[in-house]
Amino acid sequence: MTSEVIAFIVVFAAAILFFVWSCYKRFGLVLKGRPDNRFNALHKRFWNMLFYAFGQRRVVSKPFGINHFVLFWAFMVLLIANAEFLLNGLAPDVISYSRLPDGAYFTLACIFDIVSVLALLSVILAVIRRLTFPPPHTEARSRDAFIILSMVGFLMIAFFGMHASEIARGAERAADYMFISNFGASIIPSGASAGSLETAANVFWWIHAVVLLAFLNYLPYSKHMHVLASIPNCFFKSLEKIKTQSREEFTKDNTFGVGQLDQFTWKGLFDSYACTECGRCSDVCPATFTGKPLEPRLLIHDIKVNLLKNGPKDSRAELPLIGGDGEGSVSEEVLWECTTCGACMEVCPVFIEHVPRIVDMRRYLVEMKAKFPEELLTLFENMEQRSNPWGIAPPERTKWAADINVQPFEAGKTEYLFYIGCAGALDARNRHTTLSVAKILDASGVSWGTLGRDELCCGESLRRLGNEYVFDVMARENIKMFEEKGIKKIITQCPHCYNTLKNDYKQYGADLEVVHHTELINSLIKEGKLKLNASGDLGNVVFHDSCYLGRYNLLYDAPRQVVTAATGKAPTEMERNRDNGFCCGAGGGRMWMEEKEGTLINVARVEEALEKKAETICVCCPYCMTMFDDGLKDKDAADKVRVLDLAEIVAKALPE
Amino acid sequence: MTEEPKKIKRPRGTARLIPGKCIACGARCESECPKDAITMNENGEPIIDLELCTRCRRCIKVCPVEAIEIFYTPEEQKILDELAAQKAAAKSEAEPEAKEKDPRLEKIKEYKGVWVFIEHTEGKPAEVSWELLGVGADLAKTRGVELCSVCIGDNVEHLCREAFTHGAGKVYLIDDPVFHYYRTESYYKAFCFLVEKYKPEIVLIGATGLGRDLAGAIATQLRTGLTADCTGLAIDDEGFLLQTRPAFGGNIMATILTEYTRPQMSTVRPHVMALPEKDTKRTGEIVREVVPVREEDIAAKVLEIIEDQKLDSVDVAAADILVSGGRGMCNTENYSILQELADELGGVVSCSRAAVEAGWMPLERQVGQTGKTVRPKIYIACGISGAIQHLVGMQDSDVVIAINRDKQAPIFEVATFGIVGDLFQVIPAITNYVRELKAKKAGTAK
Repeated sequence: MTSEVIAFIVVFAAAILFFVWSCYKRFGLVLKGRPDNRFNALHKRFWNMLFYAFGQRRVVSKPFGINHFVLFWAFMVLLIANAEFLLNGLAPDVISYSRLPDGAYFTLACIFDIVSVLALLSVILAVIRRLTFPPPHTEARSRDAFIILSMVGFLMIAFFGMHASEIARGAERAADYMFISNFGASIIPSGASAGSLETAANVFWWIHAVVLLAFLNYLPYSKHMHVLASIPNCFFKSLEKIKTQSREEFTKDNTFGVGQLDQFTWKGLFDSYACTECGRCSDVCPATFTGKPLEPRLLIHDIKVNLLKNGPKDSRAELPLIGGDGEGSVSEEVLWECTTCGACMEVCPVFIEHVPRIVDMRRYLVEMKAKFPEELLTLFENMEQRSNPWGIAPPERTKWAADINVQPFEAGKTEYLFYIGCAGALDARNRHTTLSVAKILDASGVSWGTLGRDELCCGESLRRLGNEYVFDVMARENIKMFEEKGIKKIITQCPHCYNTLKNDYKQYGADLEVVHHTELINSLIKEGKLKLNASGDLGNVVFHDSCYLGRYNLLYDAPRQVVTAATGKAPTEMERNRDNGFCCGAGGGRMWMEEKEGTLINVARVEEALEKKAETICVCCPYCMTMFDDGLKDKDAADKVRVLDLAEIVAKALPE
Repeated sequence: MTEEPKKIKRPRGTARLIPGKCIACGARCESECPKDAITMNENGEPIIDLELCTRCRRCIKVCPVEAIEIFYTPEEQKILDELAAQKAAAKSEAEPEAKEKDPRLEKIKEYKGVWVFIEHTEGKPAEVSWELLGVGADLAKTRGVELCSVCIGDNVEHLCREAFTHGAGKVYLIDDPVFHYYRTESYYKAFCFLVEKYKPEIVLIGATGLGRDLAGAIATQLRTGLTADCTGLAIDDEGFLLQTRPAFGGNIMATILTEYTRPQMSTVRPHVMALPEKDTKRTGEIVREVVPVREEDIAAKVLEIIEDQKLDSVDVAAADILVSGGRGMCNTENYSILQELADELGGVVSCSRAAVEAGWMPLERQVGQTGKTVRPKIYIACGISGAIQHLVGMQDSDVVIAINRDKQAPIFEVATFGIVGDLFQVIPAITNYVRELKAKKAGTAK
């Protein structure tokens, strides 16, 4: 055994030990989190990992993601090359792929050579991109990023240097297949002595070895921890789309929500390691877009910093998770800015779950600290006491139907419960939508009834705002009423009611078939039960996706098809549409809060609609309706542009 | 059993609305009625269908202002009186001493008199104290006892005289520099000292920040009952204080009795009870007391009073007349026409959320879901369309006058009077008219 091999064994052992120790230290912190079963349905998880991590499904959805795809797969291939490299260094005489038969060896050598140059090119591209077209957030130009990119660059250069030197001194039998290295060899001055070439190869080998081991050890200490964490994160990703938040158990001495990192689930903590701060979440966040302090990327980053700082210590209050200053602490204002629109989770390439984390922390503020923006006090009181956001007397719920004949729901006699919702029943503007839905149902011969004044609020806003206790009470009450009245099928006109009855209540064992009016109308048209006289009276109809209909429940096509049927023309799309749709600003309980920072979200969205020369804006949600109405008034466009619910558009097209 | 086996049918009476008393609280009676016998007219007042009405009296109980009554014709009343007499006779025979056996009831008999706490900030009285003297006087009269006030402070004798003019017959005064600033510890000790010495049967305190703090401390110390935020106070046949307050979000009205402990304590929010007529000639007796509370014994020290920094210190929630502007005002400058009208009427300018968002008005003036909830006598909505978020903040106003260009605006649904027109013409016209009226009035007065 040469002294060189012994030296390498020492270096290698030290590096590996340090790497294992670092990983143990860092990943071990994740176990501080609460349990969360992410080991079920293994075959499905395995498939998710293949598709989203190895397939880079979401990464490549943005143009520059291709570069990442190339780099990722280059890494995968070079993982084999580098394993061989390290093992060869430890036992040069035993392990070497040059011992393979010619055909296999040449193929591998050729592949490694080409892949290395691809890796080098994509690193160069990445550097150029960071220097010339920086993403909106300047942190992408961090030292971290350049260190890691230059390390990869060095590795590749060392790789070529090593092989070029070997080829030049004639010691490489696969030289003809290693095009790039061969080219490298050709530019080495022909006068170089065999001895100096051997030295050069040796030096390059050591550079390669040291940089490789340094790279490995740098990973756990940088944002490039995602190299290690994001593949498992795709494996552990939620099997279903995230449409709700977990239930809490209201028992004595329990703590509620998340006020310190060990109250997150382990997955909540692991997410922060998987984040590489690409910033795609912040790019699509309505709060970030309008200059609010919330940036989903920073939120996840803060959780990570908090974990690394507080995690190793037993004394917890070192750096508060919520309300502290600076990095590693999430400010209260940030938490209240979220509209829970879910755009961040929709784009995250590694499936980080931002919204449930935010709601967890809101729960802590509401349930443990009773700290929330003061305007929510009225909302919470009204919800708890009168089961609607405005505190209006229950009999008002039937006023929308003053001029029409509405039957109460009776099991056996009526098929559907039409769950009007608070806005549909109490808000003057949205009562028109309710009436339109009723008209359409009657015109299609659907058998429906209502709960009249007995209807209660579903509690959606409360759940998103972290007032889980009151939500829990309201959910039980509603489900009990549904059971007692024998209600199985429900029509809603509000995407928020829809999602809550359909998805939130599922956690309570409710077995309900819930349909949103857009869905129902679309199927009624398709079944021929609803006949429409399409007319172009509404001019240019621009369609707005409601987050809780689209992103949460994937109802993208149904409303568009209905608009087409009712107006004879497919609706005009806004710049950001479907899964990239931009929130109106009212979700997540923001409807009941003031927008004090930055510009207004609803105005931003209205501007987008006006760019498309909208004459009619079609919405499917009472909150969107209010936000657009307000936004149009702000833009002095209320006289020229109208906002209509999809049901109103359909009602206009009903034959007389 | 008796010589006359006559079966008198108990008269049912008729449920009816006492004209002018309904405040259109939001259809509590309608929602309460189990028979759906009540519908609301456009002013939000109940119409009672006597065919359906079972005289269950739930609507009467739920009404926050006792605007519904059961009316008996004189004949019916006569039968009732007869029945009551029969019942009383039967009762006096059956259980003459059943109640007296309870020693707890014996003990509470020592307590006499109605007390009202005079709240003040460094000598400046809180209006609610005088309001409570109004209702306190009724209670004292029914019970046949004295109406007293409790005044604790430093150099506050002038408050005693003011209490007399509002109806107090006697004031217990504790005047000492220790009580210059309100502190829970010193005030509740002083108050408890007085209660233990003079034993009042009823104690009324304003449900303000200070009052809520103090009342809770006193009740805890004295181990007696306290009903917060009462909307109605009355005395029942047996002399108990009936403390009525909304419960479950106003869906029901709970009437609470303090049966075995004294004093019976209640807090009442400002503006709930009517301010009694002031009679400057009235005087009364001042009882000075010295309480052994020393500065050294109080843990809390007042170092500095920091005034609310907000420049705009107008409290829109307390104003009787509000002139409110919305998006229709177009810009900040236009608010001057609202201010002019408000000045003429002795009111205050408020606004909708749109005006705050546009930066025309400060947040403190915002009325609505995320602003203040107001209940003025007159609310003039100018250029406010009346989105539900705004309506919930002002729909309990006694009179709503809406001025808007759009006939369809939802504000007209809650308005008592609606004016469809350009507010930049309408408002100055109203202002001028008010000025003219005032001038005329001044002229005739001369």
